[in-house]
Amino acid sequence: MKDLLLYLLPIVILTVGGFTMMLVDAFQKEEGGLSVPTAMLHFAAAAAALALWSRGGSADDLARAQIAFNGWLAFDRTTLFLDFVIALGGGLASLLAGSYLEEHRLERGEFYTLLTFASTGCMMLAGATDLIMVFIGLETLSLGVYALTGFRRTSARSQEGALKYFLLGSFAAALLLYGSALLYGMTGHTDLAGIREALSRPVDGAAIAGQEGAQQFVAIQQTVRDRVSILAMVMIVAGLAFKVGSVPFHMWVPDAYEGAPTPATAYMAVVVKAAAFGAMLRVLVGVFGDPSGSASLAGGWPGLLAWLAVLSMLVGNLIALAQSSVKRMLAYSSISHGGYILAAFVVTPRAEEMAGGGSIGQGAAAAVLFYLLAYTVSNIGAFGALIAAGRRGKEAVSYEDLAGLGKRHPAAALALSFFVLSLAGMPPTVGFFAKYNVIRSAVEAGYSWLALAVVINSAIGLYYYLRVMVKMYMTDPAPGAVRAEPMDSPGLTLTLIASAAMVLALGLMPQRFYDYALEAVKLSVAPVAAAPAAADAPAAAPSAPSAR
Amino acid sequence: MTIQIHHYLILSALLFSIGAAGFLVRRNSLVALMCIELMLNAVNLTLIAFNRWMPANAGGAVPHQGQVFAFFVIAVAAAEAALGLAIVLSLYRVRKVVRTDDANLMKE
Repeated sequence: MKDLLLYLLPIVILTVGGFTMMLVDAFQKEEGGLSVPTAMLHFAAAAAALALWSRGGSADDLARAQIAFNGWLAFDRTTLFLDFVIALGGGLASLLAGSYLEEHRLERGEFYTLLTFASTGCMMLAGATDLIMVFIGLETLSLGVYALTGFRRTSARSQEGALKYFLLGSFAAALLLYGSALLYGMTGHTDLAGIREALSRPVDGAAIAGQEGAQQFVAIQQTVRDRVSILAMVMIVAGLAFKVGSVPFHMWVPDAYEGAPTPATAYMAVVVKAAAFGAMLRVLVGVFGDPSGSASLAGGWPGLLAWLAVLSMLVGNLIALAQSSVKRMLAYSSISHGGYILAAFVVTPRAEEMAGGGSIGQGAAAAVLFYLLAYTVSNIGAFGALIAAGRRGKEAVSYEDLAGLGKRHPAAALALSFFVLSLAGMPPTVGFFAKYNVIRSAVEAGYSWLALAVVINSAIGLYYYLRVMVKMYMTDPAPGAVRAEPMDSPGLTLTLIASAAMVLALGLMPQRFYDYALEAVKLSVAPVAAAPAAADAPAAAPSAPSAR
Repeated sequence: MTIQIHHYLILSALLFSIGAAGFLVRRNSLVALMCIELMLNAVNLTLIAFNRWMPANAGGAVPHQGQVFAFFVIAVAAAEAALGLAIVLSLYRVRKVVRTDDANLMKE
């Protein structure tokens, strides 16, 4: 049992740390100083995830651990990978917060406690294999993030962003819940494995067999169950799509991103997305994935997601073109990045073998994980550079603020250009390989049009990313305009250097990290991608044990 | 006439629809909050009705799972309402508005 509790380590570190910080914050005399401890907590959680990863443990061990927690959480490598991404993003975001909040006189201890608890929620969501756990994780992270969005109490924009995010987020949670309730009613299970199994069986008519009209009754029940499970699938997809901010559920994204203090925006853009996409992998593939091609009609979700993906890419990119605020542009660009990730999702239920081992579905799921890691380091860097480019009263928000920054402050301009190039997908940065993996898995599965959509949209995206650089290096500020002046803070510089190093390292050795992602997908207790039908190796995604 | 499972389900579907429609139509953020509560309670009704209807241990299901789920929903809904009211109050302090139409500083 002690052994099994070890698997909870990343979550335990953050929970205990969060409570400790609450106490410290309550009893210390002056505000502030919690940024570094928060970052340390997150990095400790990341290290714990890495240690658990290298410690290994067979699929049997993982399955045992899952049973010990009643099948509510999976402790497989997918979870560990996502835990690492979450902890890394959270740690870097809290370092950003340390500089930003101090500069903008917002330093209050709650920020770090809320952030830590939100990360806990993210980890629960990323490992959730039960609909109840999905809901609790989702709400734990959401409540934290709503409060972070409204953290600038005197700013009307911040409050507006928080209100919109809160209302739409709660609406989405209610949709997700109703879908979960319907699934529960149709199957009697809330654990994903149980639901999957129950949906793949035809309706059991043994109890009333032989009675008059039994056959019609069973037929009606079967129809009802099929239809209702489709409805439940649509509601769950909608609820999760809200959380990742994909079109047409994106209305809150730009306002919440713009209103929130920038470190909170970075946190929302990377950590919350990583957790929500992780939950999507598990719920969609784990419940409705149905690689065997049998009963469940709700297996039609890839088509639905393909639409969401294309819409997100296109709408996100087109509106991003028209923005005058860089922060808002990054918000819309994060919507389109969500679209690229969703494009890989479409392929996850494909079970055909692929050349490098594993299946196409597993390759696609690995592309999702790799994209999340790449996107985390690039985006934290981009928001960090945006923070670095402005100081109190002279913030860098719009393109105009950035005019001539390259001449006045080359270091800040260089940092922003570098991360923006990674977001645009330029080699040798990691952004390129993240997109490459998505495109490759789409082509392998025969979705050439989807791959084409990704390529075209990357080209559109290039315009507004390059516009940032054009503004910084090739234009001069309008006379009399407020010029952004960079701030300097050791924590911020450190964060930027660390993110840049990771962007480059991932970009120079993409195959290595992709292999980690692939391993994460293969060694997963609950299916996150379709495995080839003839799985001879026992380690290759064994079917999940149910909680009985 | 006896009250059966489908009566509960129809009632809860109605409640959920009323909540969703109200959320989409009404422009007062407090009413929107109430609509969300209505939707969550419709979910609770669904869960509990299904739980009662389901024979114990059907298909290896854990008994009372639905009712446990409902408890979690109730607890989280309370936390959510507290935070939501705090945000509404906080917006009111800054802008003196509670209507979502008036929260329009960031239109582009």
